Amino acid sequence: MSFKHFALAAALSAIAVPTLAQDKPVLTVYTYDSFAAEWGPGPALKAGFEQTCGCTVNFSASEDAISTLRKVQLEGATSPADVVVGLDTATAPEARKTGLFATHDLTLPTLAINWADAEFVPFDYGYFAFVYNKETTPNPPKSFEELIALPPSFKIVLQDPRSSTPGLGNVIWIRTAYGDRAPEIWQGLKPHILTLSRGWSEAYGLFLDGQADMVLSYTTSPSYHAIAEQDGKYAYAAFTEGYVPQVEVAGVLKTAKQPELARQFLAYLVTPEAQAIIPTTNWMYPVLDIADTLPAEFGTPPANVLTLDETVLDTSLKAWVDEALAALQ
Amino acid sequence: MPRSSSLPPRPLRLIAGAALALSIAGLVVLVLCSILRAATGAAASSVDIWRLVVMTSTQAALTTVLSLIVGIALAWALNRLRFPGRDLIVGLFASAIVTPGLIIAFGLLAVWGRAGWVNEASLALTGQPLELPIFGLGGILFAHVILDASFAARILLARLDAIPEARLKMGQGLGLSAVQRFTVIDWPMLGPTLPGLGAIIFLLAFTSFPIVLLLGGGPANQTLEVAIYAAVRLDFDLAGAVQLALVQIAICSAIIVATAAFAPISAATGPSRPTRWHDAGWVRSLQWTILGVGVVGFALPLLAILADGIGPGIVDLAQRPSFWRALFTSLALGAGSAALTLLLALTIGMARAATASRLARTAIGAPAYAYLAVPAVVLSLGAFLLVRDMGLLPEFAAPVVVLVANALLSLPFALATLAPPLEAIATSRGRLIRSLGLRGWSQFRDVEWPLLSRDAGVVVALSFCFSLGDLGVIALFGTEDFTTLPLAMYRALGAYRSNDAAAIAALMLLLTIAAFTLLPRLFRRSNDAAS
Repeated sequence: MSFKHFALAAALSAIAVPTLAQDKPVLTVYTYDSFAAEWGPGPALKAGFEQTCGCTVNFSASEDAISTLRKVQLEGATSPADVVVGLDTATAPEARKTGLFATHDLTLPTLAINWADAEFVPFDYGYFAFVYNKETTPNPPKSFEELIALPPSFKIVLQDPRSSTPGLGNVIWIRTAYGDRAPEIWQGLKPHILTLSRGWSEAYGLFLDGQADMVLSYTTSPSYHAIAEQDGKYAYAAFTEGYVPQVEVAGVLKTAKQPELARQFLAYLVTPEAQAIIPTTNWMYPVLDIADTLPAEFGTPPANVLTLDETVLDTSLKAWVDEALAALQ
Repeated sequence: MPRSSSLPPRPLRLIAGAALALSIAGLVVLVLCSILRAATGAAASSVDIWRLVVMTSTQAALTTVLSLIVGIALAWALNRLRFPGRDLIVGLFASAIVTPGLIIAFGLLAVWGRAGWVNEASLALTGQPLELPIFGLGGILFAHVILDASFAARILLARLDAIPEARLKMGQGLGLSAVQRFTVIDWPMLGPTLPGLGAIIFLLAFTSFPIVLLLGGGPANQTLEVAIYAAVRLDFDLAGAVQLALVQIAICSAIIVATAAFAPISAATGPSRPTRWHDAGWVRSLQWTILGVGVVGFALPLLAILADGIGPGIVDLAQRPSFWRALFTSLALGAGSAALTLLLALTIGMARAATASRLARTAIGAPAYAYLAVPAVVLSLGAFLLVRDMGLLPEFAAPVVVLVANALLSLPFALATLAPPLEAIATSRGRLIRSLGLRGWSQFRDVEWPLLSRDAGVVVALSFCFSLGDLGVIALFGTEDFTTLPLAMYRALGAYRSNDAAAIAALMLLLTIAAFTLLPRLFRRSNDAAS
C-alpha cells in the first residue's frame, strides 16, 4: 500500500464514521491501551454490550489509565467521551476532585469487595505483590523485613512511582503497612533494588529474563502463566504485612452525550456475563463472586487486606513518593 | 578563502530554508503555548532543577565524548578494511540508533546481564558469576554508546568513503604514514561533521528516558525528561512541565549554537572507488582489533535480540491480521517520512550552503535541532492540544501527526549527514557554477545531486527506520485502529506477551538492517546509471 493510498484510506474512514453514527448512537469509552487491545477485555465486552444496547461502542485508548484521566481533564466540557474505564484506587480520588464525573445512580449487585461509591463502579481488582520463580527461589521472603535481611545479591525490580501504577502502589503499600517507618524500609530495600523501571512491562520483562529474583506485580500474575502458558513455576510471595488492593473502576462523565447508555454500560460491567470475560483477558479478579466460571488457577484472593483512607491518600500521596525517592537517593 | 565571492546567489534557496526554519521554530512555540493555555494554576514543581541539570549534563557529555571517540575509531577501521559481509556490518551498526532504546537495553542485558551470555559462559567455565556493573551510570553510558557510537561510525564512514580518489592517490604517492594520512586526509573530512553529530548525540543522551530508568538502578540516576514526565502525569502541573521543558530547550540550544559556531566548512567530496591503499601491518592489526571489539560490543546485543525473537512466535504473529496492518502502516509511514525528511533536509541544507554568514547558517539550522530538545511527553501533549484547537478529531489526524513528527525527529540526523557535503560543494565548486551561469535547478541536478546521492541514500534509510521505530507522539490520540510495529510491540509487552514482543522487536531490527543495507545501494546505483 502506498502512502497515498494509506492517506486516502484514512481520509475516507474519517468520512465514513460520522455516517455510521447516524444509524445508531455511539458510546465513546476512554480506556487504557491493553484494555482495548485485541487480547484484552475490550472486544468481547463491546460485542456483548452491543447485543442489547442498540448502539455502537467506540473505544478510544490512551497509553495507560492516568493518560485517560489527563485527556478528559484537558478536554474538559468538550470531551467526546461518555465513559472512562480503568481509573484505579490511586487515581480515583484525583478524578473525583476534578468534578468531571457524574454519579452513577446504580444499585450495584452484591460485590466480592467492600464498595460504596457514588461516582465510580468497580469492574475488577487485584493486589500488588512480589512475583518470583519457584524453581530459582525456593524460599521467598515473607515480608519486607525478611526481604531486607537477605544478602544484597537477592535482587528485585520495582517501577518508578512517578511513571507507573504498580510503582505508586508499592509506595502506598509500604506506607500503609509501616507508617512513619516507611523511609527506613525503603533504605533497607535500596541494595536489593536492581532498578526502578518506567513501567510495569519493562520490570516484568527484566524479571522474566532472569535479571532479578522478584518483581513487583500482582497476585494474579502467576495465574496468567498457569492459564495462558500452562506454566506453573511462578508464584507470588505471601507477605505477612497484608496487601493493598488496586480496584479498577469506571465512571460516567457529566458531559456525556449518551448518559443513559453510559450508565447501562457501567451496569453491564458488573453483570456475570461481563465479569466472566474480565479475569482471563485483563488478568485481575472479578468483582462479582463467579466462583463457578472463574478458572481454578486464580486461587483465592489473599485475606489480609490493608485498608486505605482515601482522604489521607489524596493529601499525602505526593509526599510519600518524594519520601521514597529521597530514601533511595 | 573568501567564500562569499565564490558563492552563486541563490535567494530562493535562502527564502525557502528560512521559511522552513521559522515554521519549525514556530511549531515548537505553538506546542508550548497550547500547553500553557491549558494549564490551570501556577508552576508548583518541587524538583531540584540544578541537581538534575548537572546530573543530566554530565551523563550527556560523557556519552557524547565516548560515542565520538568510538565512532571515529570504528569508521576509520571500516574505511580501511575490505572483507565479505562488510556491508552487513555497516548496516548492523547503523540500525542501532533507530531501534527503540528499550530493545537495545534488553539486548544489552541478554549479553552482559545477570542471566546473560557472558555471565552464563563465566559460570560454565569458572563456576563463578561475573558481577558486571551493568546497572547504574555505567549501564546508561554503555547503552547510549551502543546506540550513538555506531550511528556516528556510520555517518563518519560515509564521509571517509567520499574522499576523492585523486586525493588518496596523491597521499599514497607522497608516502604518508598512517598517522599523517589520518590527520592530513581523513581529519578534514571528519572534523566538520563532528560538531553537528556531537550536538545530536548530546541531545539524545540529554533527553533519554526509558534507558535511563531501565538501567539507571534507581533515582540516583535520572534526567530532566523524567521530571518533566512526572510533572505532566503525576502532578498534572502543566505550567511546571513547560518551565522544565524551557530549561531543557535552553541548555540544548546553547549546545547547538555553540557547536554550530565551532563547525568548520567541510572538505570537498567526490566520487570514490574502494581504496587500494592499505596501511602498514601493525596499523591493520589495530584496525581489525577495533572492528572485532566493535562487533562484539555492538553486534552481540543486536544478535541477542534476533536470537530471542526469531522462533515459532513469528509464525504465530504472521497469522494475525493486526500484525500485517501494523506492518503496512509502519512501512507506509516510513516511506512517507523518509521522503519528507529528505525534502526538508535538502531545503535547509541548501539554504545554509547558500550563505557565507555564520550567523545566518546557525539561525537556519538551529530550529531543526531544537525539536530534539523538546521533551517527548510535552510534544505528545502539545500535538494533541494543537490538533484539537484546529478542530480536528485526534484519531483521524494521527497519521499526519506521526508522519510530520517522525520527519522532524530524523531531520537533525539528515541535516548532519547532508549539510557538510552541501557546504563543501558550494565552497569548492561555487566559482565554477557561477562561471557556467548555472541556474539553481541545474546546479542541483547536475552538480549537487550526483555528489550527494550516496548521502541521500543514508538519509532515506535513516528516516525510514526512525519512523519504523518511533511512536512517541500519539500516546493521547486514542487510535484503536492505527497501529504501528513499535506500538504493537509495547502492547504485547504490556500484556504478558513477551514472546510476541520479542518477535516484533526482531522483525523491526531485520527490517532496519535490510533498509540500511539496501537503500543506500539503491541510491548509489541510480546515480551510477545517471552519470
